[in-house]
Amino acid sequence: MKENKANKKQTKISWFPIAMLGVIGILPVFMTSNYYQTVCCQAMLYAIVALGLNFIVGLSGLMTLGTAAIYGMGAYTSALACTKFGLNPWLALVPVLIMGWLIGQGLGYPSLRVQGVYLSLATIGFNEIVRTLLTNLEWTGSGTGIRNIEPYRIGSFAFDTQVKSYYLIYIVLLIFIVIAWKIVHSRWGRAFIAVKDNPEALQVCGIDIAHVKITAFTLSSVFAVVAGAMYAHFNRYITPATYTTDLSISFVVMLIIGGLGNFWGCIYGAYIVAFLPQLLRPIGLSYKLIYALIMMCLVVFFPNGLLRDTKKYLMRRKAMKGGVADENRAGSN
Amino acid sequence: MLYVNQISTYYGNACALSGVSFEIKQGEIVSIIGANGAGKSTLMKSIMQVVKPRTGTIRYKEKDIMHMSTHRIVGEGIVYVPEGRDIFAPMSVQDNLVMGAYSRRFSKNELEELCEEMYQLFPRLKERRRQLAGTLSGGEQQMLAIARGLMSRPEIIMFDEPSLGLAPIVVDEVFERIQYINKQLKISVVLVEQNAFMALSVSDRCYVMENGKITNSGKSQDLIQDDSIKAAYLGM
Repeated sequence: MKENKANKKQTKISWFPIAMLGVIGILPVFMTSNYYQTVCCQAMLYAIVALGLNFIVGLSGLMTLGTAAIYGMGAYTSALACTKFGLNPWLALVPVLIMGWLIGQGLGYPSLRVQGVYLSLATIGFNEIVRTLLTNLEWTGSGTGIRNIEPYRIGSFAFDTQVKSYYLIYIVLLIFIVIAWKIVHSRWGRAFIAVKDNPEALQVCGIDIAHVKITAFTLSSVFAVVAGAMYAHFNRYITPATYTTDLSISFVVMLIIGGLGNFWGCIYGAYIVAFLPQLLRPIGLSYKLIYALIMMCLVVFFPNGLLRDTKKYLMRRKAMKGGVADENRAGSN
Repeated sequence: MLYVNQISTYYGNACALSGVSFEIKQGEIVSIIGANGAGKSTLMKSIMQVVKPRTGTIRYKEKDIMHMSTHRIVGEGIVYVPEGRDIFAPMSVQDNLVMGAYSRRFSKNELEELCEEMYQLFPRLKERRRQLAGTLSGGEQQMLAIARGLMSRPEIIMFDEPSLGLAPIVVDEVFERIQYINKQLKISVVLVEQNAFMALSVSDRCYVMENGKITNSGKSQDLIQDDSIKAAYLGM
């Protein structure tokens, strides 16, 4: 919220979200390879998850590392509903949403008792339990996962190619951006920020912290399960190996690269995390090492988010050149 | 209006309050004075159930509010303005005010009206309504904390050390506002203070706390004449 206020004052930056969404919109025209289009779709799905995770990690300041499991449970719920019960993929979103709500309520409660690093550990545990179950249960296709998941359809039009899926996911992303934006700027968004900033004052304002935290978790899980379901019908094949704690950590890294609590940061953060490994892959075996180094540098040199710190740096340079003592006040807080 | 009967509160095994009783009647300003660590803040927090008292009863308007959760007590009409200007630093002044009305589910128009009322009470906040609360001066932050407390339209408001760390001229302003809130808005006030002289001069009745117990109480104008109080708290 803080940075949005700042955005209003410095109209310089407000072109950024529009430009970013515009570029995302026309990306498939330039990226004709199937491979990169797949990565793009994944980046958008990650962005949806990151927008949801922003409520917990970014705004409320609770570090959870179980998001991949939630993402996976969304995918499995939708895939199983379609393959085992013959539901239409669109209709399967109903059990998916119910699942999201249940996970959110269930994960929210422990977050009231365990805090800080213990919450991270507990959610890693949750992630591993889910992954182990998915790997070992016969019913979920065990290690080999689920194949031949049908794509989304409208009438006889099937979203079965990369480009078609791309635009379906793009529209869903836009819808979620609007929803997330509304939530961040509602009484709920303010309550989330207050949980991080000053929980005691929040209580004496007559706000139930437990309720706020559980709501943050529920919203976040709903975002993640929907993205997961989209992934299942886009990829048409899911395996439990995708939903590792590594992926959970990646989701948090997206938020950190974009700047914790920074709304638009979630989206470009997701793109950086999705694309960087792919771009580095030609280097050869050492690409993971380079990737990790770049990530470390980003976190060290841009602790408040890539864009926000670049902006701050540019402003400081400008101020030094022109002798104007116009420091970025909102950023220094 | 609010009856606290024989409450005892512990932090772990350390006893912070032992058998404290006090009451506040409608329309009063009651002050609680005492040295550091006497248990004044703990008493406030116990009433709000921020810390849970182990024994005793707390009744508010014939209702037992012991074991009620904090946010519901605010909903009942008791509000606590914590010490150290506990505001939400990364939010604007306006957003801070809106947070205060959270428990009441007011409509947008009602909220606007309420905020406007607060801005009339504290004109300085109006100038700064879009500014981040963390960038306000100490006095302004205290005003904001008070205004935020009033946003839920309480019947009892409890101030914890409102003069802490403020310049003397600002302290006068804060106390003048507190009296206004009591007289004009008809809200009962509990005032916890180390600044005993100030507290005694604005309040109707006063309780003196020492080591988690109430050691003296009475009309403020009597206590201000009391020799032991003069010696211990007024430095006379």
